[in-house]
Amino acid sequence: MSAWIYEQDLTAQKYRILVSVRHDRVIRQIAADLDIGLQELRKYVIEHCDMILLENLPARYEAALTAAGDADPVAKAIGRDLYTTAIPLVPTGIMETIYQTTAAKVAAGTPFDAAVADARAMMKEVIHA
Amino acid sequence: MKHTVDVNIPLGPVHPCFKEPARVKCETKGERIIAAEVELGYMKKGIERIMKGRPWQEVMFLAERVCGICSVIHNMVFIEAIEQVSGIAVPPRAAYLRVVANELDRMQSHLLANFSYCYTIEHETLGMYLLDLREKVMDVIERLTGARVTCAYIIPGGVRFDIGAQDEAFLRESLARIEDDLTRYTGMFESGPMIALRSRGIGILTKEAAMQAHAVGPTARASGISVDRRTEHPTYRQLGFEPVVRTECDNYARIMVRFGEVFQSIRLIRACLDNLPEGVIRGGGTCTAGETRYSGEAPRGELTYIIRTDDYGRVIDIQIQTPSIMNIEACCHVMIIGVDSVADVTSTFVSADPCIACTER
Repeated sequence: MSAWIYEQDLTAQKYRILVSVRHDRVIRQIAADLDIGLQELRKYVIEHCDMILLENLPARYEAALTAAGDADPVAKAIGRDLYTTAIPLVPTGIMETIYQTTAAKVAAGTPFDAAVADARAMMKEVIHA
Repeated sequence: MKHTVDVNIPLGPVHPCFKEPARVKCETKGERIIAAEVELGYMKKGIERIMKGRPWQEVMFLAERVCGICSVIHNMVFIEAIEQVSGIAVPPRAAYLRVVANELDRMQSHLLANFSYCYTIEHETLGMYLLDLREKVMDVIERLTGARVTCAYIIPGGVRFDIGAQDEAFLRESLARIEDDLTRYTGMFESGPMIALRSRGIGILTKEAAMQAHAVGPTARASGISVDRRTEHPTYRQLGFEPVVRTECDNYARIMVRFGEVFQSIRLIRACLDNLPEGVIRGGGTCTAGETRYSGEAPRGELTYIIRTDDYGRVIDIQIQTPSIMNIEACCHVMIIGVDSVADVTSTFVSADPCIACTER
């Protein structure tokens, strides 16, 4: 077992990437979408993504929004693919559980917006944890 | 991301096979790569910040200094974005000459990329042949624009210099020689058994993974995605442009797509010269206030400029999305994962034609 022997603290550099104009716009949009504090979200992505993924964030975000198209409305509303494959904020397995739960609620007659809000709350919990 | 692993192999930032500094930290299990992390920040220029508040006359020179290998396309996309904002029309002759300059730039960039790949897989003979061929292309660029790199050939409403009869003859003669030589070199690459061992089936980027990572340019086209911004460019449409696409999804496909595109560039340049309209090369116009997002096809893929200008043509806000950002990400998070040898990491990385200067801007 060995640790990264060349590891540096890249937080400052990653933060500079995140506060550039387009990246900042995307991060603010995600923070508003998930109702998470801006700094909290920045800290989360800095800890979980490497520098090239952070650089690619706006392109991945745009690609995911385009790819979502007119697909399953529940998946689109909760950002099933957006927050797992495009921007890895929530593990795929957990997101699938959230999606199944939300889809079941909608099918059972819960108002769409309320079910999506519950899903967002669950995603927020995952990020907080 | 600080975590403990069995074995980690940091490649770079200074590595004999990398043209520019970047560190790829590979997590391995035996010889197999199971994860990789990219560390940048060794050549950050902050060029977008430098551009802000400056008049377009200064920004056009800064734009082509984003990347020394594909400077013409940075010049072209910035100027065409300014033209779109200001409603400036380009004379037909200038539009064709822009395509000639852009395709020559693509040829030298692709030849350099394929040289790097051959050098990385230790086929230095073919690499040197390709580098020699690139010099011929650079001579043609110098003849047309007056400079080898950062030539500032494209200006709002036209181009700087016309092409004379002697220059045209030189260009045609050079293209014929380059085509002959390249046919032979492509044959060597296609049929070389040792090249195949190092290239076929290595660095797989599936179509789905390429779409997910938003891969662009030859990297995407080698994964079967028919995406090329030139199909939407009016001059290329007139020339009947069709993208070169392959479906093997490996290192071999990426190199062959580039070879195919060099041949395609030769055909496009010939078509431009055969149908070169008569007339002026500068239409004139005034740069005004506005905001736009404009994309062009750089040698490495889709290059986007998002700009906002004021009444005097000063750039108030600018963001540049370069193709290497997407391609390096696809390379390091998908292509090199699962390769069976650390030696294949460098060749796979180079096959994606990464440009760190573009990535860090």
